[in-house]
Amino acid sequence: MNISLDPWIWISALLTVSIFSFLYRDNPFYRFAEHIFVGVANGWAVTFYWHNILVPSLFDPLFRRGQLLLIIPFIIGILYLTRFIPRVSWLVRIPIGITMGYYVGASIPADVQAYIIKQTQGTILTSQNFQAWNAGNMGVVWSIILFVGVICTLSYFYFSKEHKGVLGITSRIGIIFVMIGFGAAFGYTVMARISLLIGRLQFLLGDWLGVIH
Amino acid sequence: MKIIDRLTKIDRRIIYLILIVVVALPLIVPSVEKVRVMAPVEKLFNAIENIPEEKALIIDFDYAPQTAPELDPMGFALLRHVFKTRVKLIVISLYVQPLGLAQKALTEVIEEYNSEAQTHEDSIVYGRDYVFLGWVPPPIIPILGMGESITNVYQVDYYGNRTDTLELMRSIKNYNDVGLLISLSGGNPPKWWVQFAQSKFGLPIGAGVTAVSASEFYPYLQSGQFSGLMIGMKGAAEYEEIIERELNIKRERKASEALPSLTYAHLVIIVFIVIGNIGYLIKRRSK
Repeated sequence: MNISLDPWIWISALLTVSIFSFLYRDNPFYRFAEHIFVGVANGWAVTFYWHNILVPSLFDPLFRRGQLLLIIPFIIGILYLTRFIPRVSWLVRIPIGITMGYYVGASIPADVQAYIIKQTQGTILTSQNFQAWNAGNMGVVWSIILFVGVICTLSYFYFSKEHKGVLGITSRIGIIFVMIGFGAAFGYTVMARISLLIGRLQFLLGDWLGVIH
Repeated sequence: MKIIDRLTKIDRRIIYLILIVVVALPLIVPSVEKVRVMAPVEKLFNAIENIPEEKALIIDFDYAPQTAPELDPMGFALLRHVFKTRVKLIVISLYVQPLGLAQKALTEVIEEYNSEAQTHEDSIVYGRDYVFLGWVPPPIIPILGMGESITNVYQVDYYGNRTDTLELMRSIKNYNDVGLLISLSGGNPPKWWVQFAQSKFGLPIGAGVTAVSASEFYPYLQSGQFSGLMIGMKGAAEYEEIIERELNIKRERKASEALPSLTYAHLVIIVFIVIGNIGYLIKRRSK
């Protein structure tokens, strides 16, 4: 056992233990650590964005170097704050509209290409897709399962017709695929959360208490 | 019935305690678990190995401390691979929080290599072998902008040097000079790279993601949009295994050491799920 003498390690270890104490029940140590976290995170974010975005990208070029065109984004940005003044709060729609317009314009063609065309291509039964599984002859089987799964799951979400007859069968198969997907997602979530616990215990037992190396 | 009642009403604090003990014990008394490298990780390894000599690899560190236990070992293993095979490396981040983690990983791995280097040629040298360009907000700006010119987007690097003065950046102008980009992320950035950089510029993308988002990213691997994929701590352990097996890189294996804890914790959770369900079924029948 080789306990750390670094005060920063002690501070982070005690804060970690305080947060973990919530697992027993709510208590002052937990609330203290939680408030510290929120305060530090906000303080850090405000100063960071001030010194790393607003000052070098806007205030310095505009007010010190005289790049007057920057007055336009400055005013548009300021309009975000008008939502706090009821009489002129409608002005907030201008920056929101500009931001939305830009992102929607940039996203739609890219979304169609990346999420619809490419994913549809990946679902079609072709020899190239069979090989993509790296599973030899089984690639055909996996591709067929994927194809059936996609068609049946899509049919489950088709609500313009009652789920009876062929649509009833395909939608029932579809819900099985959906449930398998949820199960896989839950399993991965458990794995992720345990991994985070491992990370904290590696810190507490290693960096702080020196029990593991 | 009393036993069934008790089993279905176990105090959650007892479950937490059991989990903590089960996770902690294998860390204190280490055991070795054989790591089998799966196809997605092998693909990612091969994608790096196949980067042409004149092209660079971009690693996008996009994780914050809350997902570091899963993604940090991936970052370390990738950097060890890249510096061993001397692929030109550009490190960036789309967010501000990961900058410190990226800097820490670079410092530690470079120190490992440089402490063993005999000559200046053997050493990992900033500007010649790698550059750390830092962060430019918002994310869409560097993702789209680097397709035209990397030094226009990142005019200064993380340390404040002008990027057009860096030796490596003289030969790496835009995505045409990049062989692969790997996004290590606890969120959406791998999708953004596919959405904007790959669909517009054809940039090959690989990813290292947290386990919680794994099912979201698997379709991109099967469709060929990802050149390879690492998932969670298990994926990191697989990458540690493959670089040791193929390149004889014998360093600390933080993810591999954690695998027994991960396995036993899963077994405990499975046992509790089974107990809960058996208890529920028995109680329902008796009603």
